Amino acid sequence: MIPSRRAFLLGAAALSAAVATPETVRALAALEATADWALATADLERDVAPRAMRRVHGRVPDGLEGTLFRNGPGKFRRPGGSATHWFDGDGLMRAFRIREGEASLEARFADTAKRRHETALDAVVTPGFGTAGDARAQVGGPDDANAANTAVLPLGDAVWALWEGGSPVAMDASDLTTRGVVTLRDDLKGMPFQAHPRIDPDGTIWNIGLAGDRMIVWRLNADGTLRSADVVRLPRASYMHDFTASARHLVVVLQPWVFDRDTMPFMTRFAWKPELGTEVMVIDKADVTRTRIFELPAFSYFHLGDAWEDGSGGIRFDVAAASDVRFALEGARVLVEQRGTVPGDPATLSLVTLHADGRAEFVSSGVTAEFPKANPRLAGSTRRLTSHVAGETGGRPLPTGLAVQDWETGRSDVFDFGDRQIMEEAVWVPKPGLHGEADAWLVAPSINLDEGVTELHAFEAGRVADGPVVSWRADVALPAGFHGAWAT
Amino acid sequence: MIRLAAVVAALCLASTPALAEPGRSSLALTFETGTDAGVVMVALYDSAAAYDGGQPVRTARVELAEGARDAAFDDLPAGDYAAKTFHDVDGDGAMGRNPFGMPTEPFAFTNNAVGNMGPASWDRARVAVDGAVAQTIVLR
Repeated sequence: MIPSRRAFLLGAAALSAAVATPETVRALAALEATADWALATADLERDVAPRAMRRVHGRVPDGLEGTLFRNGPGKFRRPGGSATHWFDGDGLMRAFRIREGEASLEARFADTAKRRHETALDAVVTPGFGTAGDARAQVGGPDDANAANTAVLPLGDAVWALWEGGSPVAMDASDLTTRGVVTLRDDLKGMPFQAHPRIDPDGTIWNIGLAGDRMIVWRLNADGTLRSADVVRLPRASYMHDFTASARHLVVVLQPWVFDRDTMPFMTRFAWKPELGTEVMVIDKADVTRTRIFELPAFSYFHLGDAWEDGSGGIRFDVAAASDVRFALEGARVLVEQRGTVPGDPATLSLVTLHADGRAEFVSSGVTAEFPKANPRLAGSTRRLTSHVAGETGGRPLPTGLAVQDWETGRSDVFDFGDRQIMEEAVWVPKPGLHGEADAWLVAPSINLDEGVTELHAFEAGRVADGPVVSWRADVALPAGFHGAWAT
Repeated sequence: MIRLAAVVAALCLASTPALAEPGRSSLALTFETGTDAGVVMVALYDSAAAYDGGQPVRTARVELAEGARDAAFDDLPAGDYAAKTFHDVDGDGAMGRNPFGMPTEPFAFTNNAVGNMGPASWDRARVAVDGAVAQTIVLR
C-alpha cells in the first residue's frame, strides 16, 4: 500500500504541474482517506528473513525464553483480483524468537495450493469465507481453498498452520518451510480441523471440524498423532469459529447464525436469526455421545475462553460476545479496504455459567475485548484471570491495548498504548518454577504506526497496567496476525 | 464447506458404454500415482451431456499392482473427449469418502483439470482427439 501510494502521489504531483484533472483530484482524495490503521492489512510481498529486533524499552526478564509463533493473513491484493475479506488473505507464519535476552523475527507464507495457483495467475480467484472468487478458481477439495491463515499449533519440530474448513498445514518450526497438508488418518483425509484446539494439561489435544449440523471431535496425543475421531450431531447448523473445554467437558456454543442456503462465499450461507437464541451443547469428554443442551439469549461471537467446572456442578467460560454479525459481514471487509468505519459495537468480555440444574446465565463485564486467553497451566481448571486485547472503539477498528479481567474481583487491569499502536493477541508464558495463576508473562506483538514497524512486548500478567516490562522493535512491519502459540 | 459428493457420484463408473462408430483416432492415458497399490478406474465421455451425468463411451481398469500404467482407447471417432479417473487404492471398487462425504482417494480428469468446488467441467477436461493423442494424468 505504502509504495503504491507514494508512487501515485509523486506521479500526481508531476501531473499537477501540468494540469490537475477532476479525476486526479478525486483519486487523490480517495487515497488520502486511507485509514491510519491501514498497515494492519497491508500486503507483504515476500517472506521476511530472520532478523534481530532492537530492544527499545525495559529489560528482558530472566527465564523468558522461547518462540511466539503467530499466524494471520499477509497478502490480500493481486493485480488480477483481490481478497475482499480479512479472513481470506494468504497465511503468513511469524516466529518471534527470544533467546539469551535477544529477540528475532522471521515470517514465511504457507506454501498452499491456493497461493501457488493465485501466484501463477497474479490474481486472487479462490472462494473463501467472505471473498467470492471467480471462475479461474481450482478447487478440487477443501484443501485447495485452504489459506492456512488463522492459528498455529506447535508440535515438536513442526508447527501446524491452522485454518477452519480444511486440514492443518505442517511447517518446519526451525525455518518455517512448508512440509505439506496433514492427513491424520487415510479415511479422514480432508476433514476440517478448526483453528482453536484446546489442550489438556497432560498434552491431549481436542479440536472440532464442522459440516452443517455434523461435527467431528478430534482427540490427538501430545505429539499430534490421532487418538480418536468421532462424529457428533448438533442441534443446529450454526457457524462456529471456536469451542471450549473444561477438565471433563467440551462446550460447543451454537450462536443463532445458522445455515440458510447453499452458496458461496462461505459467510453468505448463514442467516442471523436472533429469535432462535443461543444454544450451548456440553459433551462428556469420556463419552462424546453423552450431551446436554443449555439455552442463552442471542449473541454472536468468534472466540471463547477456557472453561472450568465450578464448585457447584456448573461450567463457566468467557466469551467475547457481540450483539450481531456485522463485524463478520461488513467489518472484515472494511479492514481490507483500509478505509471507512466498522459498523456495530466491538465485542465485550462476558461470562457464561451453565448451572447443574439446567439454567444458563450470561453476564457482560462491559469491557471491550477480543482474543480471550488464560494461563495454559490451568486449562480446564478453576481460574479467575482472562487476558484480552482492549481499546477498540466503535469509530475505529482494531485494539490498542491489553487487559486482564479478574472474574473474582471484577477488576480489569488495563494498559493502553493509544491510537498509534495496533495491539495483537497475547499468549500466556508461565514463569519457570512458579505456579500461581498470575505467575506468567503475556507476550504479544503490536504494530507501531508512527514508526511503521512491528514490535514485540512482554507484560507481567499480574500487573498489565504497568505497561510492558520489555519491548523490542523490528525494522519491518508485518500485517496484524490473528492467533499465536508459545513453544519453549 | 465444499461439496464434493457430486464428484463421488459422477465417478461411479457405469458398466454399459454407449455404442459408437469405430474410428481411427486414439487416446492413451498414462497414470502417475503415489502408490503402486490398487487400480485406476477410468471413464471416457464423448459429449458434455454424457460427461455431466450420462453414460461413458468407454471405461478402463488399470491394474497398478500388475504393473499396468496406461489406459489406451483405440479406434475412436475423431472428436472431443474427457475422462474422469480415480485411484482405487484399497481395491474395494468404490471411491473412499471421509465422514463428511469428501473423496479420500485420489481423483483426476483429462488435462489434469481441476474443478471449482466440484468435478472439473467438460470445458476444462475436454481433449480434442484427432489421430493419436497421449496424456499423462497425475493421481495424487
